[in-house]
Amino acid sequence: MADQTFRLPDLGEGLTEAQLVAWRVEEGATVEVNAPLCDVETAKAVVVIPSPFAGTIRKLHARPGESVAVGEPLVTISASDGAQAEATPGTLVGYGPGAPESGIRRKARAAAAPAESRADVRAAPFVRQLAKEKGVDLEQVTGSGPGGRITRADIEAATTSPALATSAATAAASTDGERRISVVGIRKAIARQMVRSVSTIPQFTEFAIFDATNLMGDRERRKASGRPMTPLPYFIAAVVKAVQAFPLMNSSWDESRDEIIVKQPINLGIAVNTSHGLLVPVLRGADQLELSAIAEQSAQLIDGARAGTLPPGQMSGGTITVTNVGASGPVETGTPIINPPECCVVAFGAIKPRPMVVDGRVVARSGAWISISVDHRIVDGALATEFLTTLVSELESIHA
Amino acid sequence: MTGYDNSGMADVVRVVAADDPVRPLFSPAGELTPEAKSRLGLDAAALRDLYRNMVLIRRADQEALNLQRQGELGLWGQYLGQEAIHVGAVTALRSDDWIFPSYREFGMAMVRGVDPADMLTLFRGLSHGPWDPRKYHFAPLAIPVATQVPHAVGFAMGCRLKHSDEVVLSTFGDGATSEGDWHEAMNFAGVFKSPVVFLCQNNHWAISVPLSKQTAGSIVDRARGYGFPGIRIDGNDVLAVYAAVRAAAARARQGDGPYLIEAVTYRMGAHTSSDDPTRYRLDSDLEAWGARDPIVRYQAWLKDQGVIDDGLIAAMAAEAESAAQAMRARLTSLPVPPPGEAIFGRVYSNPPASFLREREEFESSLEGS
Amino acid sequence: MAKAINLSLRDALTRDENVLIFGEDVGALGGVFRITDGLQKAFGEDRVFDTPLAESAIIGVAVGLALRGFRPVPEIQFDGFIYPAFEQIVSHVAKYRNRSGMSLPITIRVPFGGNIGAVEHHSESPEVYFAHTAGLKVVTPATPADAYALLQTAIDDPDPVVFFEPKARYYLKEEIDPAARVPIGKARVAHEGTGVSIIAYGPTVSIALQAAKTAAQEQISLEVIDLRSLSPLDMDTVMASVGKTHRALVVHEAPVFCGFGAEVAARISHDAFDLLEAPVARVGGLNVPYPPARYEKLYLPDVDRILQAADAALAYG
Repeated sequence: MADQTFRLPDLGEGLTEAQLVAWRVEEGATVEVNAPLCDVETAKAVVVIPSPFAGTIRKLHARPGESVAVGEPLVTISASDGAQAEATPGTLVGYGPGAPESGIRRKARAAAAPAESRADVRAAPFVRQLAKEKGVDLEQVTGSGPGGRITRADIEAATTSPALATSAATAAASTDGERRISVVGIRKAIARQMVRSVSTIPQFTEFAIFDATNLMGDRERRKASGRPMTPLPYFIAAVVKAVQAFPLMNSSWDESRDEIIVKQPINLGIAVNTSHGLLVPVLRGADQLELSAIAEQSAQLIDGARAGTLPPGQMSGGTITVTNVGASGPVETGTPIINPPECCVVAFGAIKPRPMVVDGRVVARSGAWISISVDHRIVDGALATEFLTTLVSELESIHA
Repeated sequence: MTGYDNSGMADVVRVVAADDPVRPLFSPAGELTPEAKSRLGLDAAALRDLYRNMVLIRRADQEALNLQRQGELGLWGQYLGQEAIHVGAVTALRSDDWIFPSYREFGMAMVRGVDPADMLTLFRGLSHGPWDPRKYHFAPLAIPVATQVPHAVGFAMGCRLKHSDEVVLSTFGDGATSEGDWHEAMNFAGVFKSPVVFLCQNNHWAISVPLSKQTAGSIVDRARGYGFPGIRIDGNDVLAVYAAVRAAAARARQGDGPYLIEAVTYRMGAHTSSDDPTRYRLDSDLEAWGARDPIVRYQAWLKDQGVIDDGLIAAMAAEAESAAQAMRARLTSLPVPPPGEAIFGRVYSNPPASFLREREEFESSLEGS
Repeated sequence: MAKAINLSLRDALTRDENVLIFGEDVGALGGVFRITDGLQKAFGEDRVFDTPLAESAIIGVAVGLALRGFRPVPEIQFDGFIYPAFEQIVSHVAKYRNRSGMSLPITIRVPFGGNIGAVEHHSESPEVYFAHTAGLKVVTPATPADAYALLQTAIDDPDPVVFFEPKARYYLKEEIDPAARVPIGKARVAHEGTGVSIIAYGPTVSIALQAAKTAAQEQISLEVIDLRSLSPLDMDTVMASVGKTHRALVVHEAPVFCGFGAEVAARISHDAFDLLEAPVARVGGLNVPYPPARYEKLYLPDVDRILQAADAALAYG
């Protein structure tokens, strides 16, 4: 004599409950299959429910006037001899809330790890994938694309893996004396960045010569005291001071909104020639550093760039760039190309003795060319000249 | 249950007019004339079988409603009161004549020999089409109203093109005659002179809408407009239905084209188990039509003819009762077919690779796979 | 929700004498879902009436009535029965104004979606056929309050609106504010979150909300957007969400293949290409005819499938 509980089925395609109107049986009564059990009212109709089992009514689970949810017990019947009817699905259709699930189902999902929150980084899926492959943390990269979008070039520029460089110039089969070099890695990044610069930034270049006598004198003094210093830290310190006087030089043009973004910290990029191509490590917060700190940190950056050990985060996010074109040869000057999305790049030529007019007389003094290329959308010639003048004056006023 | 085998029976329907061999069998009120009734050529066994089938399908109908109320079926549409049409029409056809049903023709399918438990798997949510139409010459149920009527006409056109002599029975309700599909199919049948018998089961209701609000004019008169004859008959008289379908089918079989039979009956139950007819139907209608119950009437006539007695009647009722119990037992023990096959198995004859991939992905997403 | 729609229709009938309600069984029976219960009794047979069983004519005459100055609110009884009316809707309801300058303020109500254990043709999601048709506005509420308010807006709108009612949610209960209005073309944030944007509409909104609730227990934050309107599509709300989460997932009952999610995914992929941290995912029906009732739960999107897709989006990168 097994007890079988009959649950309220969905009586009319999607119903969720029914109200019990009246019982037609009492507890203890004996019923046959299909004997009327009760009347219920659904949202659609009043219907009679016939018993699915034969046996004795053990329990009526609801009183007239009560609401019964689809899937909830309606009546429990203890089966009479021979009536070993299996428990009815009862909620075959409509399934009602809380109805027992039976049979086949889709695999349940396993609980996942909590989500990480992400900064508002803009980068195309391909770029994200590239960053993932190269181990570049997008949050550490400042986008050079429109609206601050991180470009493929940004990722590639941020990549220091020497393995990349070795694959950068793989010669393909040549024809007619030509040689095709497939361009990947840093070479490709440089190419894209430069194309972007000259094709999107209207830039002009101004030149000046400064008198490096004081600078060289200071170097001599430091050398004598056992603390030698290259000219680069002096250049950087002077650029920082000139930028502080003219903050607009430390800015970006936001194409998507036609706005100029003036950057607060001066993150000074230093163009470094390395065995795998031109890299621009960034001296962050250069405006907060003393000359000796500039010297120390810039040296570390340059060494790191050449050794391929700099993390990508130290290769991105520059706000202005300095390139020391005279450091490795007799180059007087050049027309540097802006490193997007920056506004200005400053090139220093070789310091060497040259004829200069001092107090109306031609004398030999140490001097060097400076050239600046500037985004004309942000800066006009007058401002550029003032910046250049200030830069020259900062360099010339070094205390010997 | 098998249908009554009438293939060896003499065709006693005398074709009195090439245009309309059916009308002479009926009174102007649509009653089968005593003369026509005496010439049906049905022996006692055949007459008893008509009765037995009506009893069987009625009991199955009631059991299906019970099963719905017990949560074993999602939906059930009773045909209570329409048994004479179901049994009479199918019995009048050859077993190779195709039937294109609507959604209430469960009784017809039973008469054709489809296992009722298998059939109910449709309402149990296990299958959209549980029988092989080719085996029973019985098309799948068509749930959107009147959509099956053009299929029937097309099949009939095909019979002509293939020079075979099957005819097609297209059956539908009164509501279906409002649909564009119905009119378009009727016109096609007239234009192509297709061997199709249109059998309208006018049960007076399209869900809650009574015939008076459904149809202006008369249904049967529409046939004339489409170029073929029609007749309105008493749909609660199994012999009338048998005679009319038989005569119309014979006419179609000999190439005289379509025929419309409007069999007038009454839907004694709800539209479906989801419906509440008390909202729109008068009890007095039920009483009036209850008095014309097709089984009660036919039983009285059979008794009168001495073809049946109380013993036989009780035996047939008992047979129907045990058949219903067997149907319930079989239905509730039928296995649930595997989902991959049930969902994907019959969609394409030649499944695209992408489709097979989706099936594989689906199947591997199931527990225990 | 059924009662909210009933009340909304009642209020529209009261407010505007040109509102007409008609369709199969909407009169004495009050509709097969009882949506129009009592309306014929209250407003008479001229304003709330049963029609013959002819969907093409139901919509066709709605066009004529609208041209004559009425505001027809025809009902198509079930999603799967709308197809005979397809020509009238696509060729005329959507295009009549464009050829005549005459507005058609028609609101076509259609119960849609599955999960009610019904037989064939009673569980379909044909919304995209209509969203694809310019000239129509296509909306679907997910809550009783929205059902009330959105229907008011739809009926007031001078343009034709196809109003899809998620029939599996007819018995949701909620207080409604009869003064509230929901503009067409304005999505809502149904649940705020930061991890993945789940974009849903109609019947899948409550599933998405359940998914968000489950995920929250695992410290996974999901945002749920209820589109409410498929055409016009409120990309501003979607984009604001995706701008926050960088991951998106569209959920609907209709088959994924060529479903509405394709449009949403394409728009997000284009407009938020640079913000995406994972491909836009779609969770929906299989590319098969709607299955028999016993299998519909395997076909329909559920909490597990939504969360699986959300997990995949979060794990993507």
